[in-house]
Amino acid sequence: MDLVIQNLGFLAKGAYYTLLITVVSMFFGLVIGLLVALSRLKGNRLFQWIAKCYVSIIRGTPALVQIIIVYYGLVDFGITIGPLTAAFVALSVNVGAFLSETFRGAIQSIPKGQMEAAYATGMTPWQTMRRIILPQATKIAIPPMGNTFIGMLKETSLVSVITVNELLRSAQLLVAQYYVYLPFYLSIAAMYWIMSTVFSSILNSVEKRLSKYD
Amino acid sequence: MIKITNLSKAFGELEVLKDISLQIADQETVVILGPSGSGKSTLLRCLNGLEELTEGSIEVSGLVVDAKDSLKKRKKIIQKIRRNTGMVFQQYNLYPHKTALENVMEALIVVKKMDKREARLKSEEMLGKVGLLDRKDFYPSKLSGGQQQRVAIARALAMEPDVLFFDEPTSALDPELVGEVLRVMRTLAREGMTMIVVTHEMKFAQDVADRVIFMADGCIEEDTKSEVFFSQPSSERAKKFIKQITEHVHGE
Ligand SMILES: Nc1ncnc2c1ncn2[C@@H]1O[C@H](COP(=O)(O)OP(=O)(O)OP(=O)(O)O)[C@@H](O)[C@H]1O
Ligand SMILES: [Mg+2]
Repeated sequence: MDLVIQNLGFLAKGAYYTLLITVVSMFFGLVIGLLVALSRLKGNRLFQWIAKCYVSIIRGTPALVQIIIVYYGLVDFGITIGPLTAAFVALSVNVGAFLSETFRGAIQSIPKGQMEAAYATGMTPWQTMRRIILPQATKIAIPPMGNTFIGMLKETSLVSVITVNELLRSAQLLVAQYYVYLPFYLSIAAMYWIMSTVFSSILNSVEKRLSKYD
Repeated sequence: MIKITNLSKAFGELEVLKDISLQIADQETVVILGPSGSGKSTLLRCLNGLEELTEGSIEVSGLVVDAKDSLKKRKKIIQKIRRNTGMVFQQYNLYPHKTALENVMEALIVVKKMDKREARLKSEEMLGKVGLLDRKDFYPSKLSGGQQQRVAIARALAMEPDVLFFDEPTSALDPELVGEVLRVMRTLAREGMTMIVVTHEMKFAQDVADRVIFMADGCIEEDTKSEVFFSQPSSERAKKFIKQITEHVHGE
């Protein structure tokens, strides 16, 4: 236990990276997810096809493989990026595919009458999407998005393989130094758990705020 | 004025409207009657571009859309027509994430580019007109069906349309709530609003409509003054329809 306390600063730094990767990837994932969902629903054939392939490939391959491809594979194309950047890119692209499916489902679940009512008042398709459909779809998408977010938090541990010093790798480094396993792994488990719980409760309160019109 | 010329509409193989021609003058209240599936909703929806025309043309507020026009041109004109028309739906279709007032304000701000204060005043006036000013801050889920439908009417009215389309505005309502919606519609008719109303409310058709259009199988079977339609319907189908409807009402 003393060892853990001595190295708390080091572990906290790992937790910071875990959090950073989660938040950054989630942010870009949301942007990608929304764009891909809109391409699939409203885009021309080419966009629909690209979006569909993207989702299918990402969902059909392991995240670990995607991370490795981004980090080691891009070098072959003369693109060298740092491990942290690779983590951002790989995980954003990964989570974007899952979020696009969430958004697509949520948008499709809004009754057609909403769109027709807005059109009938003279609103354009884009105005209708932005002001009528998306606000309602977002509310529907929040619970599954929360799950994705928490999944993301745990999935960041995968980027330890490309030497990003996030939480898991921090523990691994300490284990290698001190030859004791349990205290370090138990403490990072606790840290993951705390972060997940905090996220969950934040999302719950957002959800409550958005449900004021039910 | 509204002018429909040789309008046909098909969904794939299914011909829903067959070569319809029709004119409606300003300030007229026209009720469209007909059995289920006869194409009443489709006809209304063609008039504000919620359905594409398969053949023929429509003219609304001096704007003409022809099935032969390019997609781009059709879209542009439809957009303009929608600014000059309003529609009230069977399921109200209020925006659930907006209050009654915000529902009415929405298009004033987004489409008419009114500033917020002006839009609010206008919307309050409209909600007052349908008797719901005291409910302006309620979300739709907190309003009865009749109240929701009246907000929907206020939302359409706020845009100062040349014509209002109603597609079975009272069909989703509990019987005791029908009256409050019809009352608003009667007032509008009296004030000279041009209205096309698809409904099964025979009393409304008899009392308020200037004219009844009876549709069957995608064709206009009858198009007469409302008194004439109910007292001396000429086609067999219209006779049968009137009989069924009145029996249905009495049977309840
Ligand atoms: N989007 C669509 N795709 C395919 N068929 C459709 C579509 N909309 C309507 N139809 C068909 O067109 C026909 C006419 O429909 P419409 O809704 O205009 O009838 P209606 O007279 O309004 O009937 P109701 O009294 O039941 O509302 C029906 O057979 C219907 O099934
Ligand atoms: Mg109908």
